[in-house]
Amino acid sequence: MSKTDTNTHNKGHHLPPKNVPFNEITKDLIATTVTGSKKIKQISILLSILSIIGIIALIVKYFADHDDSTKWGYVAALISFLLSVGGGAPMVGIAPVLAKANWVRPVTRISAIFSLTGVSTLILIIPLMMMLPPLMVDGVRRRSIWFEGPIYSPHVWDYVALMGLVLTGLALFYSAALPDFAAMREHSSGWRKNLGKTLSRGWIGTDSQWRTLRMRIGMFGTFYFLILIFVNFLFATDFAMSMVPGWRDAIFPMYHAITSLQGGVAIVVASLWIIRKYFKLEKYIHVDQFWSLSRLLFALTLLWIYFFYSAFIVFWYGRSANDIAWIELLITGPMMWVFLTGAFFIWIAPWWWLIWNKVRRSVNGPIIGAILILIGLFLDRLRLFVTAWSVPTESIHEKYLKIIPELVLPNYLDILIIIGGISLAFLPVLLISRVIPVLSIWEVQQFNLLAKPIKYMKTHGVLVAKPD
Amino acid sequence: MAKQSLIGLFEKADSAADAMDGFNNGGYELGSFDVLTGTPYPEGAFGEHVPQHRLFRFPAFGAIVGFTLAVFLTAGTQIAYPLVTGGKPILSIFAMLIIMYEMTMLAGVIATVVGIIFESRLPNLAPGVYDKRITEGLIGVVVTVDNDSKVKDAQKILEKAGAIEVKHS
Repeated sequence: MSKTDTNTHNKGHHLPPKNVPFNEITKDLIATTVTGSKKIKQISILLSILSIIGIIALIVKYFADHDDSTKWGYVAALISFLLSVGGGAPMVGIAPVLAKANWVRPVTRISAIFSLTGVSTLILIIPLMMMLPPLMVDGVRRRSIWFEGPIYSPHVWDYVALMGLVLTGLALFYSAALPDFAAMREHSSGWRKNLGKTLSRGWIGTDSQWRTLRMRIGMFGTFYFLILIFVNFLFATDFAMSMVPGWRDAIFPMYHAITSLQGGVAIVVASLWIIRKYFKLEKYIHVDQFWSLSRLLFALTLLWIYFFYSAFIVFWYGRSANDIAWIELLITGPMMWVFLTGAFFIWIAPWWWLIWNKVRRSVNGPIIGAILILIGLFLDRLRLFVTAWSVPTESIHEKYLKIIPELVLPNYLDILIIIGGISLAFLPVLLISRVIPVLSIWEVQQFNLLAKPIKYMKTHGVLVAKPD
Repeated sequence: MAKQSLIGLFEKADSAADAMDGFNNGGYELGSFDVLTGTPYPEGAFGEHVPQHRLFRFPAFGAIVGFTLAVFLTAGTQIAYPLVTGGKPILSIFAMLIIMYEMTMLAGVIATVVGIIFESRLPNLAPGVYDKRITEGLIGVVVTVDNDSKVKDAQKILEKAGAIEVKHS
């Protein structure tokens, strides 16, 4: 047993959350699947329409621009953004669980739900794959991580890896959701009950079932992390670095992965704030969750500048022709203002916002930092992928970039694809809230089972059991 | 007599643990009684029998198979089409690593999914006696017996431990 002192309320700090009876947890959380059905239906219809428009725009764009890869930067940036945010979010529920943190239990479901966004990424990336130039054009092979491999290696293996990530994410989500499907089977009605019966696969909560559940969460979590970093590495190298001649940067794939984790934490903070307010779940989502997540967010925000600067200093100090071209293309060139605005949103503003204890230790403070980071991440992805894809195909086999391409502005199709793509990614996240509670019933019950508010000397604290 | 299952419902975990002790001390066969909960209690909290599992073998087996296939694929293609590039050996390990890693991971994940289907005993087509209040925090201790005297004995153990209700299948 460990004692965690989270309270000195006589100094203005918060009291530890009270334990909620098990039956109340079940009742409250199952009720969230029907809360605000009309409004959610309206939003779902809107997102569906936008998604369809986005897919149509993508098809139209393919037929209109299939002979010019320089016009696909905005689609690449969108996919990178969705992969970063949706791919990074499940890690929020994986890493602290592996470290046996109790605060994360009410967060795990919402973070795992974001693995559903991978399905839209798998759809949207198909035309982009078709636009990705083969490794060899006119007998000339460009530099890539595939060396002398078949010329369509990135197309095949990147897609397989992405499928692996989505499969692992869905397996993680479904594994952890089994007990809650059983709860839906017992306590809901109509189609939800039937669906719960089918998806719970006869779960009754035997000791053996719980043991294997614990193990598979651990195993899928570990696999997810290993595949996520790998997919980030593949996407960053094949869809950005290998598109720019002379861009050789060992740090960039890790930069892509770390900003993915930053975006993942940010989207979880934002979602947690929304569901707490919208579903009235103040009893289950406490300031502790926001406090802990905002510390993570702050640390990842500082890592942004560490990774960016580590890469930048090599190019800046190198001063060779390809180093100068890299700086001109990605920093001072056509998208300099996007870079500066992005850096402000992803680093400077959240840094100086989340640095304050009072902000981090609040419910409403971290959401502002999270929104700033999501905006900054999107701008950062535009800066990286639009410029990388703006290099003409005939130049990507050269030793280094000799002519910096002009700024490529989005056309109406790009804007529709971006709006539609984001809608398509968030639609399943919204729809799943009608099928299963957005907070895991059994994890919230376990949160209560293992943590008891206690009086500790002249203050209060939470006694947390860590017996496993 | 056909096998019969009984379930005792408990409000307190300590009482459920007492019932499990009762079955252990009463000479009931290991595996004939189990505890049902709505949330995972720490392993061994009820003094339950912890059977051996083989779940870790599945990802290990899958990973070995995936890795082996990847080695054959990458080495096979390079040997079949030997092209010397930049003075590097035909079998360059760094060029093979990406595909080897990817196939190892994928086969590991697929084998884990298969392993879970076996080890979780899911789908459970005959769940037996159950009570939906288990998902509301009650703890069920379920026992399966095959003669009348054992039914009465099991009921007595459950009631003595403090079951608020005992149900028969």
